[in-house]
Amino acid sequence: MQRTVPSLPLAPSVKVKLINAGFQVASDLIDMRPLQLCKEAGISQEEAVEVLQMLRDDGQPHQQRAATESLTALDLLHQEQALGSIVTFCSALDDALGGGVPVGKTTEICGAPGVGKTQLCMQLAVDVQIPVCFGGLGGKALYIDTEGSFLVQRVVDMAEAVVQHCTLLAEDTEQRQALEELTVEKILSSLFLVRCHDYVELLAEVYLLPDFLSEHPEVRLVVIDSIAFPFRHDFEDLSQRTRLLNGLAQQLIQLATQHSLAVVLTNQMTTRVSNGQSKLVPALGESWGHAATQRLILHWEGLRRLASLYKSPSQMEATIQYQITLQGFRDAPDEPRPTPASSAVSCPSGNHSKRPRMEDLS
Amino acid sequence: MVILREGICPGINEEFIKALQSEDIKTGVDNDHQIATFEDFVSCNPEELAQKCSLSYKALVAVRRVLLAQYTAFPVSGADLYEELLSATAILSTGNPSLDKLLDSGLYTGEITELTGSPGSGKTQVCFSVAVNISHQLKQTVFYIDTKSGMCANRLLQMLQTKTPNMEEQMEALQKIKVFRVFDVFSLLACLQHLRSNDLQKASIGGGSVKALMVDSVSAVLSSMLGGKQNEGMSLLMQVAGELKMIAKDFNIAVLVTNHVTRDGNGHLKAGLGQSWSHVPRTRVLLQRVEDAETSSLRTATLTKSSRQACHLVEEFDLCHWSEEKRTSISGKRKLEERSKP
Repeated sequence: MQRTVPSLPLAPSVKVKLINAGFQVASDLIDMRPLQLCKEAGISQEEAVEVLQMLRDDGQPHQQRAATESLTALDLLHQEQALGSIVTFCSALDDALGGGVPVGKTTEICGAPGVGKTQLCMQLAVDVQIPVCFGGLGGKALYIDTEGSFLVQRVVDMAEAVVQHCTLLAEDTEQRQALEELTVEKILSSLFLVRCHDYVELLAEVYLLPDFLSEHPEVRLVVIDSIAFPFRHDFEDLSQRTRLLNGLAQQLIQLATQHSLAVVLTNQMTTRVSNGQSKLVPALGESWGHAATQRLILHWEGLRRLASLYKSPSQMEATIQYQITLQGFRDAPDEPRPTPASSAVSCPSGNHSKRPRMEDLS
Repeated sequence: MVILREGICPGINEEFIKALQSEDIKTGVDNDHQIATFEDFVSCNPEELAQKCSLSYKALVAVRRVLLAQYTAFPVSGADLYEELLSATAILSTGNPSLDKLLDSGLYTGEITELTGSPGSGKTQVCFSVAVNISHQLKQTVFYIDTKSGMCANRLLQMLQTKTPNMEEQMEALQKIKVFRVFDVFSLLACLQHLRSNDLQKASIGGGSVKALMVDSVSAVLSSMLGGKQNEGMSLLMQVAGELKMIAKDFNIAVLVTNHVTRDGNGHLKAGLGQSWSHVPRTRVLLQRVEDAETSSLRTATLTKSSRQACHLVEEFDLCHWSEEKRTSISGKRKLEERSKP
């Protein structure tokens, strides 16, 4: 262990005292006894105990070890294939996302009010529970609602549709058995809802999530609807907001990786004026755009609802059409069908292309 | 800061240190305190010290010379440097002709190169392509530090598939990419220091097969620590910079980092992490989307800092370049066409 003292996660004042006492690397400290250390460095006994605990592996969760353990890209490929993704019930969107909302990554859904962000989130919260034998994940969902827009009636509608869909698909005995357990009540009972009223509650909830997730290891989806609402109000110091948001984003990414979760965040849109033209862009500023691994923008074009994949490390940018029916988030009907556009443009205001997939619609 | 201890150099023994510490002496660094560190010792006048501590002047001067020699750096001649440059420096191609042109034929070992750009501008894709190119073409190990879970092995495989149809070669190349996943700055530092003291040391003894280290992204872990009233963030930023520089120089490795962008008062893009970080990378490239282009995968790369090429050179490239060798018609439809094939 060749860690230098200034790089250790300790309080700055303790670090200064340790350095002044001549401790330069972690190995100078590791063999000390607490009393000896507190005398030599002039720190309190509690601080000395804390320092030593931090240095010994048990005080440090798996972060320290994870930092020095590497995976080859081949291992990662196997991992990615094993984790799977959550289907959205809109085959065009699933295709654009490479099979659905990926587990182990964070996905941000941006859109104007009423375009269907919450509907998509609720749909995902139901879909994540589709049993494994039907090609689902058989997991549970945690829904953090900051806007108060969660509607349990809609979840019931969607759950009924999913149960019916699986009933139609059931073929072998394994699937029929799984079907017996798949009821609307069951779906509702494995959906946890947390209502956060302001950003303090949201931060507290997110930083306590590791405990909740260890208690409920089946949780495969965490939804925050929306991240923008608590952070767009009552903030005077914008740089503080940026810092809090960046910290939150890193925490969520860490959770997604360590607990094999799909994290879905929703964000609002805001208007940016540049060169005398106004343009709708996702809220929370430029640097927040880096936070999520994938960014999906939902927008209107006339009466049609479109979803554009704006940023993704693995998929091409694409724009697809969807609709929201009584049963939930679905593919757009084939009619009226525009001529196959020549290109996919992700920018919300630009051209669009629609790529209906006939074979999946039947 | 180096504490004067018994045995750190010949001539310093217990009595010597006791004598030094017995008197409060006015030094250049601080007023009236005991001589406890190397800095204190070097910055005060030996004549005065000899009188106050009743040590021999000769011994003091000798010890001072030995200590200084112990901590000094050695000059290297320009000719030697040039020879080393010719023999040891490698230029790693990014796998993209226009980027290579911008970077004067690729990433140089021993230097830090930075990619900046807004979300979705292709920073991660460039990192992937460099990693794939080095692991496949050059058969070298690549270290990839992923701080925002952007690493997607599927995409790496996709890029490899365009390079070779041979499954074994693809798997071999994937195994040469070592991924570290860290999510906060302390783990990043732990990871870098671990690399420096273990993996790279071993690799350099075994012939030096590691040629590149990537950090995607360095701003994700640092920006939540910066700003506000605490100045710890600044110190951590400089430590990360120091570690990266040391790795680049000591092990002769090409370091590629990514950074976010912010907007200044006039709405112009500038690289994140502020002034002090801007001195860290040797070469800086700003990636931007091409607005109103017919395909959404077109990007421009602008050279904003370089010690070799003229700044503000602009090159245009297509992110789809890495997906297929010969692009059929329009790139946006590529995925669909591939899939709808039976």
